[in-house]
Amino acid sequence: MALPLYQMRAQPPAGDRLTPGRDGAALFTNRCGYCHLTGGMGTNLLTKQRVALGEPPAMGLLANRTDLNADYVKSVVRMGKNAMPRQTKVDVTDAELDSIAGYLGKVK
Amino acid sequence: MKLTLSPRLSPAQYSAALKAFEAVVGKQWVMASDADRDSYSDIYAPGSEEEWPAAAAVAPASVEEVQACVRIANQYKTPLWPVSRGKNLGYGANAPRMPGSIVLDLGRMNKIHHVDPVLGYCVIEPGVSFFDLYEHIQREKLPLWMSVPGNAWGSVIGNALDHGIGYTPYGQHARNICGVEAVLPDGDLLRTGMGAMNGNHAWHLFPMSFGPSWDQMFTQSNLGIVTKVGMWLMPAPETSLELSMPIAKEEDIGWVVDTLAPLKISGLIDQSIFVPSWLGKIVLKGQRRDFWDKPNAIPEWRVQELLKQYKLGYWTASVRLYGNEDVNKAKAEVIKKAFAKHTPTPFTETWWHPGDPLNSVDPTLGVPSAVALQMGDWVGGRGAHMGFSPVVPPTSSHVLGQLKRSRDRMAEFDFDFYASFTIGGRFANNINMLLYDRDNDQQVKNVRLLFNALVKDAKDAGYGEYRTHLGWMDQVAGTFDFNNHAQRRLNEKIKDALDPNGILAPGKQGVWPAAFRDQANKEFRS
Repeated sequence: MALPLYQMRAQPPAGDRLTPGRDGAALFTNRCGYCHLTGGMGTNLLTKQRVALGEPPAMGLLANRTDLNADYVKSVVRMGKNAMPRQTKVDVTDAELDSIAGYLGKVK
Repeated sequence: MKLTLSPRLSPAQYSAALKAFEAVVGKQWVMASDADRDSYSDIYAPGSEEEWPAAAAVAPASVEEVQACVRIANQYKTPLWPVSRGKNLGYGANAPRMPGSIVLDLGRMNKIHHVDPVLGYCVIEPGVSFFDLYEHIQREKLPLWMSVPGNAWGSVIGNALDHGIGYTPYGQHARNICGVEAVLPDGDLLRTGMGAMNGNHAWHLFPMSFGPSWDQMFTQSNLGIVTKVGMWLMPAPETSLELSMPIAKEEDIGWVVDTLAPLKISGLIDQSIFVPSWLGKIVLKGQRRDFWDKPNAIPEWRVQELLKQYKLGYWTASVRLYGNEDVNKAKAEVIKKAFAKHTPTPFTETWWHPGDPLNSVDPTLGVPSAVALQMGDWVGGRGAHMGFSPVVPPTSSHVLGQLKRSRDRMAEFDFDFYASFTIGGRFANNINMLLYDRDNDQQVKNVRLLFNALVKDAKDAGYGEYRTHLGWMDQVAGTFDFNNHAQRRLNEKIKDALDPNGILAPGKQGVWPAAFRDQANKEFRS
């Protein structure tokens, strides 16, 4: 049964949740994938926004964005934005968020 | 968010309690900065999030740590507000009812202990989300289906404990609970039902105790912290058939309910039948301003235009059958004949067979999704929703009466009408979604006044809510007034006996312990 990726996330990478350096891409898939993989609610809403800005629909996927930096990702995760609720440290630990922000933040 | 302490707690007691919690769970799992408090506030709050402020959050990882936290709370008189994953969006999310409570976040307790594909149940912890359990079942290729709510981001246990509903034959989620492990307000550990016997093999199979049965005592309750639950799961069906049709007019809901409810009660239809109004479909197509560019509620003439343009009914009647193909075909004929007495419109029939793709946003197929939360985008800005959810008998007179009452009030307060009736058996949950922009002060003010009026109207007509937001827990509890609020008095007697320090979720569902009874009806102003 081919379900959208957001309904079949990868398991989180092994290791202690408080230890820095775990794989950002895998953590993004597991912690943020509910909404931000293909077919997810966040992707659906962001796709509309990006298309309205004249970008291709694929830019609705955060992993495809080239304009994000790590600090911005961290701020939105912790403070929320529009339909995006704030994430607690139980949802995503600071160490995990560092890895995720490093993965999504293409602007170094 | 600034620090708010619970009533009569000194800063010194608070600091000492935090240190004690740190010794149990580790410093990093005691979260007490301003930013941490923000993350434990109601993201959909109808008004300031500071009306329901948490002082801190503590995240234990085991039953033993929960017990230790409860003992610390008793020692320092620091009330705890347990949440499973804290995704109770529309009802308060992860924020506490009583200001200054410390959120006990059980999200780290996320083990799936056991899934039994033969007898159809699982044993899970509160941090397990619908997605987690679904993915586990898929990875293990187990022949089981789940029942999921509209927003499946949250906890399987948390949703069931809060009387959440789904749309499969297992849609009444609290009824799927069989065998609970709970930490009591004094730190003692209880296993209910057959689990009261060490090593009993039928803990999660036989739904009663030898003697009084306590499972349901822990739902919508502040009498214990549930740490483990057996939940029944539906065997994967051989096939499934959906019959769906648009229902043209608003008042047609009367005959639809009169037709469907007897079929549900007789057992011919076994799912919880979801009948949503048109707005439930159109919120997924865009934002409100794409369809109506004025601030006032969409007028009826425009609604009719939109229904025509998007080929929608005022309601959508969908019935899903599960099981043997021949049986489903035979059942479908009965349902078609029953509808043909009222409408010439044929059903659209959609079969599912094993191996077919599943419609990933159809909750009747037990597939978890958070896409329903897109409705938050409808009003734009920081869009939010609250649910006004009275329970009504599933007959046309009750349903049409409740519909008219809430419709008139929503028009008076200028809200778009978005309702659904979910027929769960001899009752229907009438969920009215109130969508508002948190940054629009007038809309926020209106939603509070509207909610007050809706609760009162329903009570005056003989109906009560099944679940409500933090801000209305006292008010709704107050509507259950038989014999000078005999049920509240019983709840308080039990609460005081089990929780003399009142440390567990004071005010949950309007039940206040003696220690904080003076806080009832405080901190929330219309």
